[in-house]
Amino acid sequence: MTLSKCLEVEKVVKHYSHNGKHVHALDQVTFHVHKKEFICIIGPSGCGKSTLLKIIAGLDRPTSGEVRFQGETVKEPHPKISMVFQSFALFPWRTVLQNVEFGLETRGVPKAERRKIALELLELVGLKGYENAYPKELSGGMKQRVGIARALAVDPEIVLMDEAFSAIDEFTAQVLRNEVLELWEETEKTFILVTHNLTEALEMADRIIVLSTRPAKVKHEYHVSLKRPRNRSDSKFLRCQKELFNILKSELEHTIVRHKLKAIHEHFKIEDMESFQR
Amino acid sequence: MASKFLGKSYKTFLNNFVSLTIFLFLWEILSITISSPFFPNPLDVWEAFLILLLKGDVEGISLTTHIVASVSRVLLGFGLAVVTGIPLGLVMGLKRVAYGSVRSILEPLRFIPPIAWIPLAIILLTGCARYMLIIWLGAFFPILLNTMAGVQTVNPTLIDVAKVFGADKKTIVVKTVFSNALPEVFAGMRIGLGVGWMCIVAAEMIGGEMAGLGWLILKYGELLNVSGMIVGMVLIGIIGLLMNETFLRVEKRVFRWRREVTL
Ligand SMILES: Nc1ncnc2c1ncn2[C@@H]1O[C@H](COP(=O)(O)OP(=O)(O)OP(=O)(O)O)[C@@H](O)[C@H]1O
Ligand SMILES: [Mg+2]
Repeated sequence: MTLSKCLEVEKVVKHYSHNGKHVHALDQVTFHVHKKEFICIIGPSGCGKSTLLKIIAGLDRPTSGEVRFQGETVKEPHPKISMVFQSFALFPWRTVLQNVEFGLETRGVPKAERRKIALELLELVGLKGYENAYPKELSGGMKQRVGIARALAVDPEIVLMDEAFSAIDEFTAQVLRNEVLELWEETEKTFILVTHNLTEALEMADRIIVLSTRPAKVKHEYHVSLKRPRNRSDSKFLRCQKELFNILKSELEHTIVRHKLKAIHEHFKIEDMESFQR
Repeated sequence: MASKFLGKSYKTFLNNFVSLTIFLFLWEILSITISSPFFPNPLDVWEAFLILLLKGDVEGISLTTHIVASVSRVLLGFGLAVVTGIPLGLVMGLKRVAYGSVRSILEPLRFIPPIAWIPLAIILLTGCARYMLIIWLGAFFPILLNTMAGVQTVNPTLIDVAKVFGADKKTIVVKTVFSNALPEVFAGMRIGLGVGWMCIVAAEMIGGEMAGLGWLILKYGELLNVSGMIVGMVLIGIIGLLMNETFLRVEKRVFRWRREVTL
């Protein structure tokens, strides 16, 4: 089987300086993605996964190195690369249908056609009948379905997903993962999913890119040879999980304290906001 | 749900009716205690209202003429404030540098009360322009500042979303930044209209035309007709309330996507 290189991440380096504080986020990150591959990127919290995804999406420029899509350097968002966001990031003032239509609107697709495509996708993600609802009326899982429909509406080659399943309850997340896998199998699209979740990565990916702590390097590329559909309680699956965990372990040990602090910090931030709203 | 809502609004209505009655009662007692020809009781005011409504004012000008005159003046000044305040607010909200650079002009200007502009308006302007300046001064700043604040509340992730899905600069401004700011813009317009309306008396002090609720109050003040004056005041209050309520209802409908706008 010969696979064409679809996306090349070449020696990508990213430095941030923010209020005089300097952050070295990515350090010579290199990996290649083939067409119709399902890639998961995992790595410790704060290592630069979102940064990497933003650079691939053309939302941010690397300090050095480059990302090539179909041989061309990505300098700005490419029409064939779309994205699903962790926090759903739906436009609250748009209805479900209008949210899905957004990318088609900017591409100048005529209204009737736009509507047709959006309705088809809404049916595909199981949101038929919710066309005219506003995001605030939807549950987290439903919002992410809209996010997925919006990303697919523009008929992308690559769908980037930044922790797309982490802000929804585990049961809904599992349903959504299966749906995404089905979609992926039916189409020629390439998926790149950033996740914290080892099991999720093993369940979905052809290949898992393991990043190190900051500054993030590619620590390991793990080929998942498990047959699909994969079963979480399968003994082979569990063996892979253990193997992958061992690869990650040393990295996790570095960050466990930082991770906890961050979790605590976020917890308080959320509580503050709630009491403020009350 | 519906019956509960109705029940609640009925109760609110009843409560307001009771407080209004108590208010009028206290007013009546006060007027009996003071017992001065310059302190009318509610009935005197009601009578003055009926006379104004049926016969017009001392010059024979009807009450509707006064109301229409004032409302149309305020709407003109308010319209001017909308077409100036929103674009400027948008620009300054988007470009912090622009706002930073004109802050030293804008901020002091904002604290000069519209009344302080009256002599200048008299010297420099005539007729309609005088009204418009005074009302514009009242309405402009709330619209400007609210638009600016609204622009800045946009979630940066939503701008990323717009970019990923191919939006150019103009689309980002119109379909993301401005759409996001719209509730704030509307609130600014509501507040601006209210402040503009409150400037009506000041504006009509200098307009030089014999119509308008502000003019009516001033005229009846000169004549020491306190009841007529109070009619003018109450009408200004009630019309202000109606304009505000209308705006709130429009907001509630237009911004259904948002958390509830409370009345
Ligand atoms: N715009 C920015 N300006 C300055 N620093 C930034 C910026 N964006 C990210 N960083 C920093 O770069 C580092 C990597 O951030 P990033 O969000 O990519 O990590 P992540 O792996 O996605 O983390 P998480 O697991 O929490 O999602 C962090 O230390 C972060 O503070
Ligand atoms: Mg992240």
